[in-house]
Amino acid sequence: MHHAHIDKFAYQDSVIHRLDSRVKFIVVLVFTAVVISLPRTSLSILSCYAIGPFTILVLGGIPLRFVFKQILLVSPFVVVLALSCPLYDRTLDTVAFGPFSWQISFGWMRCFTILGKFVVTMLALIGLVSTTRFNDLLTGLQRLGVPKLLVIQLGFLYRYIFVLIDRAHHILRARAGRKLRGLGFKRELSTASAMVGSLFVRSIDTAERINIAMQGRGFDGRWRSISKLQIRRTDLLFAAISASFILGLYFFVKPVLQ
Amino acid sequence: MPNAIDIENFSYKYPDGTAALSDITLKVEHGQKVALIGPNGAGKSTLLLVMAGFIKGTGKVLVDGLEINRKNLKQIRTSLGSCLENPDDQLFMPTLFDDVAFGPLNMGLGAEEVKERVADALETVGLAEMGDKAPHHLSAGQKRAAAIATILSMSPKIITLDEPDGSLDPRNRNNLIELLSRLSQTLIIATCNMNFAAALADRAVLLDKGHIIADSEAKRIMSDSKLMNEHGLEVPIIDS
Repeated sequence: MHHAHIDKFAYQDSVIHRLDSRVKFIVVLVFTAVVISLPRTSLSILSCYAIGPFTILVLGGIPLRFVFKQILLVSPFVVVLALSCPLYDRTLDTVAFGPFSWQISFGWMRCFTILGKFVVTMLALIGLVSTTRFNDLLTGLQRLGVPKLLVIQLGFLYRYIFVLIDRAHHILRARAGRKLRGLGFKRELSTASAMVGSLFVRSIDTAERINIAMQGRGFDGRWRSISKLQIRRTDLLFAAISASFILGLYFFVKPVLQ
Repeated sequence: MPNAIDIENFSYKYPDGTAALSDITLKVEHGQKVALIGPNGAGKSTLLLVMAGFIKGTGKVLVDGLEINRKNLKQIRTSLGSCLENPDDQLFMPTLFDDVAFGPLNMGLGAEEVKERVADALETVGLAEMGDKAPHHLSAGQKRAAAIATILSMSPKIITLDEPDGSLDPRNRNNLIELLSRLSQTLIIATCNMNFAAALADRAVLLDKGHIIADSEAKRIMSDSKLMNEHGLEVPIIDS
């Protein structure tokens, strides 16, 4: 079965794809931290920050339609959180844009800022995942000192999430083939819990077989890998440009716009 | 030279008390291609797990002359490579390269030798250019070939394969037969597909309900329609 993989563009080749995963990861981490720390009245500076990940996505040849689809997929949780802001903070403030000015509650401003921060940080995250092979990212994390156990867990999660999705699809299809009428809420719920239970039991079986496959190939609890990562001049140049962009906006442009 | 596999009077019961294997005695010489045939639930997969040291029972099991115990296990798993029934269980790393390198790295080989072995193994199974691919991007036939590459990179003397032809279309099955025929290692293949077994094996061991029913030349066993029917099997269409 073919899924819409989150990293389906990570196997392309571009100047961004060729950058070292550690540099990209650190840049995205710092970028995200800075964007999240921006105050609630920072919509204009947020739009400036969006230029960074947008440039990376364009240089990496990632279709923007794919990017916005991914953002939409994970947006419901944040949208609910953002839309709750106007309900509890109704203090009014005046906002000016060029010759225009109007009044808006702090709640709505907070709502737009949360949505803005979400979109901008998601752009950066999708930029990272779509231009970096997951394995390079894992190796990079390991080289950055992230605990090996966590890196291994992430590796298994990435590998088997697709197998699990396949199985869930098979189960759903099997149910759809035999469910010829509405079952009512109670029956639907019990069927759904049986399906989840079946997936869980199969996952345990799979884990046991993977354990056999690992031990069969000499695994003794120590994770060994061949690292192919190497920091080059272009990586340093990318780090320098990114740092100038992130800090320049924060220290020089933000005070002017506020 | 010791036998590749030497099992004497081996028995094993599942935790619920059901006899999975009863009084199994089996010797496999180096270089033989043996098909373990039998209906579902005959004990074929369990016997392969016994050979790889994953299941302990009563009786003696030697792999390449070494008795299966804690001390010998690492050596045994270097000599005997097990290919599981589902390639998704065998391919657990994010890329094919890492999966094929997993075994050699655990053998303690240096980076350069590991790279060479990975390149050779991928070349042998016809996936030379696909090292950077994630396993979930491979087709069923490619996954099966990749699973075999993960074993070949460890240069084992013996390879066990559990239902290797499962869910393969005829073209991929023929490719697999061609690939396995080229290998010089001792092959022990558990399968319910008699055509597949007939195309590959020079010897067949018929298992049913945990017992060895027959052990002889593959053609002789598989052409005995009475024996095959009695044990829920069929006479192969080719090479019979």
